[in-house]
Amino acid sequence: MGIITCQNVSKSFKRTKALNGFNATFMENRLTGLIGRNGAGKTTLLKMIVGHGTPEYGRIQVFGENPFNNLKVSANTIFVDDEMVFPAEMKLHEIIKMAGLFYDNWDGELAERLMIYFGLNKGVFHDQLSKGKRSTFNMIFGLSARCPLTVFDEPTTGMDYSVRQDFYRALLKEYINHPRTIILSSHLLNELEGLLEDIILIKNGECLIHESMEDFKAFAVGLTGSKEHIEAHVREEDVFYRKNVGSTQSYVVVRDQFSQDAKADLKESGIQVTKVDAADLSMHLTSETKGGIDDVFKQS
Amino acid sequence: MVLNHDSTKPIYVQIAEWLETEILNDHISTDEKMYSQYQLAEMFNINPATAAKGLNMLVNNDILYKKRGLGMFVNPDAKGKILLKRKNENLKQMIRELVQEAEYLKVDHDELMEIVQQVRKERKDR
Repeated sequence: MGIITCQNVSKSFKRTKALNGFNATFMENRLTGLIGRNGAGKTTLLKMIVGHGTPEYGRIQVFGENPFNNLKVSANTIFVDDEMVFPAEMKLHEIIKMAGLFYDNWDGELAERLMIYFGLNKGVFHDQLSKGKRSTFNMIFGLSARCPLTVFDEPTTGMDYSVRQDFYRALLKEYINHPRTIILSSHLLNELEGLLEDIILIKNGECLIHESMEDFKAFAVGLTGSKEHIEAHVREEDVFYRKNVGSTQSYVVVRDQFSQDAKADLKESGIQVTKVDAADLSMHLTSETKGGIDDVFKQS
Repeated sequence: MVLNHDSTKPIYVQIAEWLETEILNDHISTDEKMYSQYQLAEMFNINPATAAKGLNMLVNNDILYKKRGLGMFVNPDAKGKILLKRKNENLKQMIRELVQEAEYLKVDHDELMEIVQQVRKERKDR
C-alpha cells in the first residue's frame, strides 16, 4: 500500500526551483533511500512530506491526508535532521521522558540503553552536545519514537565511521522488530546500500529513478576495452559515463541491456565487463555531463 | 560468510548460494527449518526483502518448500538438486573461463589436461 503519494510536486525558493514536478509513491513498511546531489531537492521534499511546508503546485498525501497542519500526520511521524530543536531548558533525560507523552509507541528504555551505549551523558542540554553527539542523540530519538513514518534527513552528519556502522545496525534491528515506513536521505550510499529495499534518485527536483535496490544495482554495467570495440557495442543514449583510460582504451558505464550471451561475446572480444557500484552509478546518473569533473579540465 | 557488495552477483543470489552450501555441508538437514528472512537479515546486515528474495529463489528451484505459517524447510532431494545445478552452471562457467584463458595463453588441450591432472594429484597427496 502507498503510504505517501507525491503528485507533480513543485516548490520554488525565490528564483530557484527546488522541486519540479516530483512524482513518487512510497510503500508502507519499506526502507527507502533518497539519494541526490547537494541541492537536488531532498530536504525540501522530506520537509513537505512531514508537513513542514506546502507544495506550490501538485499534491502530497500522507496516510491519505494532506500532511500540512495535520495532527494525525504529526503524531505518527518523526523527522530527524541536524536542525532538530528541543526545549532549551530540558536535559537529555528529561527530553526522553517527555517524548512518551507525544509518541504512542515511544520506547524510553531503548532510548536510555542506546544513550548509555553511545556514551551520551543524560544530564546535559541538547545544545551543549558536539555535532556528532547531537546527531547521535537525534538518531536515538528518531528510532525510539517508533513512528509509523520515520524520516531521517542526512542523519549521520558528524558521526564517525564506527557510530555510523552502529547506527545502521540499530536501524536494521529496529526495522525488523518493529516494521515501519522509513525514508533515509544520505550521501553515503555505499555504506547503506545493503540496508535499503528501495532507492529514489532525485535530480534537479525530479524523481529520476525509483527502483528496488537490487534492480538499481543491475541497472548498468561498466565496460573497459578498446575505444572502437566499445563504441561498436553501445548506443550513445545508453551511456551514462565515459572516461578515457590511456590513449586507446576507454571505460564506459552503460545501461545493462546485454543478455548473458552478449556479455560472453563482449568478453570474447576483449572487453571487460564489471559491476558498477551503487554509489558510483548514482553519481553518474545525477551528473550533468557524461565525463564528470574531467570535462571541466578538458582543453579543447 | 561475508557478503561481497562489489561482486557482480546480486546479494540475494549470494544469500541463496550460502544457504545451499549450508545444506551441502549438512548444517541444515532434510525437512529441517530454514532460517527466516529476518534471521538472515540480522546475520548479514541486509534488508529483509533482499533475504526473502534469496529464500524465494530456493523455493522456486525446489530446494526449499513452504509450510504455511511455519516457514521454509529443506526438500528431501535438495542436495542432489544443488549438486546438479552447481555442476551445470558454476562448474561449466568456470571451465568456460579456464578454456578461454588457456586459448589466450596458447596452452593446448593436452597441456591443459596435464595441468588439471597435476592439480588433482597435488590435492590428493595433501
